[in-house]
Amino acid sequence: MDFSGLLDILQRYVFNIANLQGMLRLATPVVLAGLCALITSRAGILNIAGEGMILFGAWFGVAGSYFFRSAWMGLLAAMLSGLVVGGLFALFSLKFRAHIIIMGIAINIFANSATIFLTREVFGVAGAFSDPNIAGLPPIEIPILKDIPVLGPLLSGYTFIVYLAWILVALTYIFLYRTPWGLHLRAVGENPQAAETLGINVQRVRFGAVMASGVFASLAGVYLSLGHLQMFTEQMAAGRGFIGMAVNTFGGGEPVGVFFSSLLFGIVETIGWRLQGERIMPVYFISMLPYLATLLALTVFTLRKQQAKKAALERAAHEA
Amino acid sequence: MREKLRTITQLLRNAFGRSIGILLSILAAVLVGSIIMLIEGQNPLEIYWLLIKGALGSQRGLLISLQRATPLIFTAIASTLAFRTGVFNVGVEGQFFIGAICGAFVGYAVKLPMIIHLPLTLAAGFLGGALWAFFPTIMRQKLGVSEIITTIMTNYIATFLISYLTNYPLRHTPTTPETPPVQPTAQLAQFVELSGGTIGKGTQAHVGIFVALLVVVVMYIVFKRTRIGYEWRMVGLSFPFSEFGGISLDRTFIGGMLVSGGIAGLGGVVEILGVWREYKDLFAAGFGFRGNLAALLGGQNVIGSTIAALFYGGMEAGALGLEWSAGIPRQLIDIVVGLIIFFMAAEGMWAFVRRIKWVRGARAVRRTTEDLEV
Repeated sequence: MDFSGLLDILQRYVFNIANLQGMLRLATPVVLAGLCALITSRAGILNIAGEGMILFGAWFGVAGSYFFRSAWMGLLAAMLSGLVVGGLFALFSLKFRAHIIIMGIAINIFANSATIFLTREVFGVAGAFSDPNIAGLPPIEIPILKDIPVLGPLLSGYTFIVYLAWILVALTYIFLYRTPWGLHLRAVGENPQAAETLGINVQRVRFGAVMASGVFASLAGVYLSLGHLQMFTEQMAAGRGFIGMAVNTFGGGEPVGVFFSSLLFGIVETIGWRLQGERIMPVYFISMLPYLATLLALTVFTLRKQQAKKAALERAAHEA
Repeated sequence: MREKLRTITQLLRNAFGRSIGILLSILAAVLVGSIIMLIEGQNPLEIYWLLIKGALGSQRGLLISLQRATPLIFTAIASTLAFRTGVFNVGVEGQFFIGAICGAFVGYAVKLPMIIHLPLTLAAGFLGGALWAFFPTIMRQKLGVSEIITTIMTNYIATFLISYLTNYPLRHTPTTPETPPVQPTAQLAQFVELSGGTIGKGTQAHVGIFVALLVVVVMYIVFKRTRIGYEWRMVGLSFPFSEFGGISLDRTFIGGMLVSGGIAGLGGVVEILGVWREYKDLFAAGFGFRGNLAALLGGQNVIGSTIAALFYGGMEAGALGLEWSAGIPRQLIDIVVGLIIFFMAAEGMWAFVRRIKWVRGARAVRRTTEDLEV
């Protein structure tokens, strides 16, 4: 086996600055979608509405930025939409006892139609809306760091949301494991009855978790619509809400796990872009890659979990 | 005797309570829809009137409603079957497309007399849809991976796969990505062709509606009268209980999901054979998702879903007319239907209705979310 060839391929498709930058960029919405899934799943809620929340976030990000000529207003509008959609989702599914999966399915389809409707009615265009008046989020150059070779270009010069996503991963970790509220959230997720008897208001904790998930998802949406190109495209979430759920499963429900599994998806997408440039195979197969990777990752993950469980059982039987 | 009477009144009360809930939900959604229209500067009464007139006011409108409802009946029944067995098949969309492309291929590539060709083409659609449902089903049943993520992923994979097929191997003309036209022996006749142009001018309503209704009848009988139908319903209500009662979970879940995918695929091929007669890339997205909504709207039972699909088809026909005449995007209908479902699903919101004396008996089954796996 000729390793130099392998190294060459690795360097070409993965380990060079441009690819790694692409990986970090493309992973950002997945990280945020993953946190959206994480915060609700740790509170014991099956939230499949992330996809719809991302779409709303993307749309309101563009709308806020367009009408106020400021990317920050776009960010604010998107986050507000996340709070409102998350709040309504929580109100209907937790308080009004609507079946949470049915509610999620309905919200996702609703978000799709509503954003198409709004694009046509408010901006008067179909398909995609872009305009020079939509302000994009400016790239942030980190002083000192940006001048260091390799690390500088790798870690500096992204838009605000990329850094925010990294910070939120750390904050979520601290929240879950270092604060009493995080303890409450985990208790509610692991055993709601026990948490109730300890005097934790289960309903309130879950309400908060769903609203937080709405904000995370809306940030993912705003990154899609304002982070790179300033435009809203119909159905631009493209399954990232669900990929976020997969990433959360794959990352074991841990913030750091979510971050690194999202990077994997970032790599898959970057390699896709690379291959697209080289015209090795039809573009349609390349576009499939993230979805195939999600299926594959879930399969591998659950197979390994099953094996681990079996091994643990055998060990227990052996000891007994 | 008294016991029986009591159960009957109880049942009536339940049915009454349910329909009151649905009516109030529709009313609430129509109200919210009106607010949207008012904000848009439109007169809601006029819009709703145009909507109903567009759907039902003329022979043409009625036939367009029927045409739009045909694929929705298939996808709604497919969703209902899956939902009832407790599987959230949100992959109906992809299964519909795969069925359509499989049917289109058999429809143009094979030359046979109609009596064999047409059933063969329909069967190809059914098998295509079932095959596409097979992977998520196996992943759920053998590995325990949630079908919600996997079926959504297979939707995306289906659209890209079909784009590839219509752009490369199955492409007919260099100008547009579409397959060759389906042989006349595999087409489903449109009413306008059957009547020599007197009925249904300017519409593409076709005899596929009878295939749809046949599926409805068959599924109704299967659910009501057969063992597998009973097992599907029981598994959906409580699968630990069903397993304890001796039902094979694997067979029920996998069988249910495959038939669900098959019906969705059949819907795809019927749409191709009746309306399009060739596969255009991305010819009509959204039938699967609207079918999901129609199944929820119809209370996840066969008859209810069929009525909901007909209603949805009619409203879509009306909305298409509205888009042409008043310039209002047809997605308005999807929004209103979505709102109806929000209000319908929110049992707790209608608790005040139940407090009224004469509907006190109507207490819907409360489902818990705790035991759902991620």
